[in-house]
Amino acid sequence: MMAAPPTVLGMDWIAPVAGAVIAASTIPPLLALYFLRLRRSRKVIAATMHWRRAAEDVRANAPFQRLRFSILLLLQLLALGLVALAIAQPQIDLGFGGASKVALLIDRSGSMGALDESDRSTRLAEAKRQAIARVRALHGGGLFAGPAPSIMVIAFASEASVLCPLTDSAGQAIAAIESIEGTDEVSAMSGAVELVRSFSANGGEGGTTSSSAPTVLELYSDGRISDLADLSLRDSERVIFHRLGGTDAPNIGVGAIAVTRMPESPGEVRVFARVVSWSKVPVTTDLELRVDGRLLAVTPSPIELAAATEEQPTGVLVPAQTQAVFPGVQVSPGAVLEVRVTASDLLPADNAARVVAPRLGGLKIALVGRGSFVLQSVIAGMSPASFEILAPEVWNKRVDADPLTPDAFDVVVLEQVAPRSMARGRYLMFGAAPSGTSIIPFGTKSEVVPRSVRSEHPLMQYVTLDDLFVASMTAVAPGSDSDVLVEASEGPMIMTLSRGPLTLVYVSFDPLESDWPFQRSFVNFTANALAWLAAGGLPAAEEPLSPGTVAAGRLPAGAQSPTVNASPGMNAPLSLLEGGRFALGPLRRAGTATIAWQGASPTAAPASLAYAVNMDCQREGRLDAADQLQLASKSVSAQPSRASLQSLSPWLLLAATAVLLFEWWVWLKRT
Amino acid sequence: MSEPRTIDDLLDSRLMAHLDRLDVVSKKIFAGKIRGERRSRRRGQSVEFADFRNYSHGDDLRFIDWNIYARLDRLFLKMFLEEEDMSLVIAVDASASMDFGTPNKMQYARRLAMALGYIGLVNNNRVSLFAFSDDRIERLTGLRGRRRTREMGQWLLDLDPKGTADFAAACRAIALGGQGRGVLLLISDFLFPESAERGLRSVAGRGFDVYALQVLAPDEVDPARHGVIGDLRLVDSETAAEVEVTASSAVVQQYRARLDAHVASLREYCVRRSIAHQVVETSLQIETLLVDYLRRRGLLA
Repeated sequence: MMAAPPTVLGMDWIAPVAGAVIAASTIPPLLALYFLRLRRSRKVIAATMHWRRAAEDVRANAPFQRLRFSILLLLQLLALGLVALAIAQPQIDLGFGGASKVALLIDRSGSMGALDESDRSTRLAEAKRQAIARVRALHGGGLFAGPAPSIMVIAFASEASVLCPLTDSAGQAIAAIESIEGTDEVSAMSGAVELVRSFSANGGEGGTTSSSAPTVLELYSDGRISDLADLSLRDSERVIFHRLGGTDAPNIGVGAIAVTRMPESPGEVRVFARVVSWSKVPVTTDLELRVDGRLLAVTPSPIELAAATEEQPTGVLVPAQTQAVFPGVQVSPGAVLEVRVTASDLLPADNAARVVAPRLGGLKIALVGRGSFVLQSVIAGMSPASFEILAPEVWNKRVDADPLTPDAFDVVVLEQVAPRSMARGRYLMFGAAPSGTSIIPFGTKSEVVPRSVRSEHPLMQYVTLDDLFVASMTAVAPGSDSDVLVEASEGPMIMTLSRGPLTLVYVSFDPLESDWPFQRSFVNFTANALAWLAAGGLPAAEEPLSPGTVAAGRLPAGAQSPTVNASPGMNAPLSLLEGGRFALGPLRRAGTATIAWQGASPTAAPASLAYAVNMDCQREGRLDAADQLQLASKSVSAQPSRASLQSLSPWLLLAATAVLLFEWWVWLKRT
Repeated sequence: MSEPRTIDDLLDSRLMAHLDRLDVVSKKIFAGKIRGERRSRRRGQSVEFADFRNYSHGDDLRFIDWNIYARLDRLFLKMFLEEEDMSLVIAVDASASMDFGTPNKMQYARRLAMALGYIGLVNNNRVSLFAFSDDRIERLTGLRGRRRTREMGQWLLDLDPKGTADFAAACRAIALGGQGRGVLLLISDFLFPESAERGLRSVAGRGFDVYALQVLAPDEVDPARHGVIGDLRLVDSETAAEVEVTASSAVVQQYRARLDAHVASLREYCVRRSIAHQVVETSLQIETLLVDYLRRRGLLA
């Protein structure tokens, strides 16, 4: 592939070499001819003294002498220059910047599903249409056209995926674009840029593209991308922003939903919803509550939302929010509750939020060890379905008798005890180091305080360890299958381990050797750990998921023939893993996906598990398209949304003709 | 204006009729070699009484007024205005630079010299003609009376403009030529490679009323309007020196500034030396020049 043509004066030049050759081969001869042609007419005058001095005066003050006043030469040079420029085929607006690689980044996040295009199609559909037109334009060629750039197609939302690596085939790129499906995920562009860099460095098809060649990233998006401020471009990268969507796009949606059982009436739940409005004028809407698709309740009076306001001095638009509560809703466990706004807007996906009703009963928990008051109290306070306190030797005997004993419990809590066998099961372990795992103890440490906490992990939700002091801790070295969540200078304090049917949360100190039991975070951590372990090392099924996540869980023992029933338009692929685990998704669309099975043991109720996926209205609900991208390093203004390659050659040729006509007229007048 | 071939071409009868009424005026008192018709402020021997003065020893006794002596018993001498003849010297630049322009400067100079000389002859002044060209000075002196008109005209017709003019030498020759005192008319374009000051200095203060008539063609005053434009190789008519000029508006403007400065410099010098200076464009009618311009300047009355 030939080197890409340069970008000059903000235009792309399809055939700059041809233009340069024409200019170099015609302009110097013209100048030479002009010097030769400057045959002065002889004229006898009375005296030349004043003329000589006058010419000397003018010449002394003139930067250009002989050619300065030759309007004909200037016109001819101008005409030749225009012709040379026309042959160089400058193109404006959508030039690929002389790059040999063009990456088409197509945003397929939730906001791209807004229906504000002229034909009520989605922004994503319009983005695909423009991208296809762009591919055809880039490979359109021309009389003096140089090589077309290699094209790469990447679709991105919360994650990016390469749909078409660098290719010279327009058909392949177009097919990749046409295959893009929308999601309800939030938008993040960093992954897409990293993919572009990775593929650019590796070259295109056959590795013919130089890794140092400039790359143009043509972004088709509404500009509402969450991680722009963290994104910096390299010198060889240029972003062309094709903005989709209008600047006036009000939207209202359900920002959050939660459900809790009413303590005084376990058969009823209370549903909380937060309604968010991105409209710049006040709006009102009704809220509906549906259970498994059936309309159950409507807010007695419309909900009023103020106008979204701009935060000063940052100018960040802050949506208006309000809360709504549906009290005393009678639902069965596992039912799907849906709160929906009735007002119509441009983005239907965030108009409803769903949540799965929590199970009536709690978890089946075993506490093995000394059965301290602290742990007993915390576990008992969580209303478990069953709670057994076992001595270590009793536990060992039962496991020896039946290795599947750990599966009879949702979680086994080990307090200062390390069972002989930990081949399978879900354990929350305090103090003594586990045996038979990759976690290696090497002594004890005293007076330990945490140094770093991975607060984003589900186990650490609402867990603050700033005031934690541990008098004595087992020093351990984590294995490769361990994930350290809390670490002190002396070593890991809290970690997880997942290996086959074994899932373990290990706290390397005895809570009674610390001041943790006196802190609220201990209760929160224990509850998080029990729920997390019960779900098979994943968030509890009742928690709504964000689009793009993979729902994973554990099928009950004996469950067979699992099937998936998902909302319309929702793709929910199921993968079965060892140990009864499964993975459902990624669930890219908002809706519900229910996995059902047959043949489970009577203790393994229920026979289905529902997952609710809600669009993040808080992050994806803003629909007014951005005028420019505020990257970390610079700003990129939006190109006209309907931009297409515009060749200037015909206009340049027209201008050259006009100049030649004018030159001819001047010549006639002078002769 | 066609080239004059006969004396009638130089001076037609209609113009002659106008000129018959004119006379050359000298502002100074001059003593002529013979008594002429011209009155002088010098007391002389004419018949026109001027004044009395006391007799002093040695005075001519023929001019004593005896009637007053008889009445007053004192001797008074009668004084009369003395009549002198005036010398009109016309010097024509006949260098090659004068053979230029439309109308031609040389033809204009011939006609002007003919007209002024005719006035001098008609008024019985002593008329002398000088022509300087190509380092030569031609002269025709001692003309007086109307009958010498033809001779003067033929002399002017025979002038052949060529070569370079040595203005200083010509002026020196005129000053030393013993032409008497009177009016000196210098008809030239004053486009000399060297300054004209040296020549003017030699004739100023020699008893002449000096008139410098600077004849310029319209081509020289406004070349852009007369086709001097574009890429030209200009050839000096006297020195044959060539100058390559792209006569753009800026260059022409600069040329005109140079010419104006040259004329202003000459005029300033003339004023300092009590020399009358007049720029004459050859597009100006001779009659208009004589009757309006030169009368206003006091040369003619």
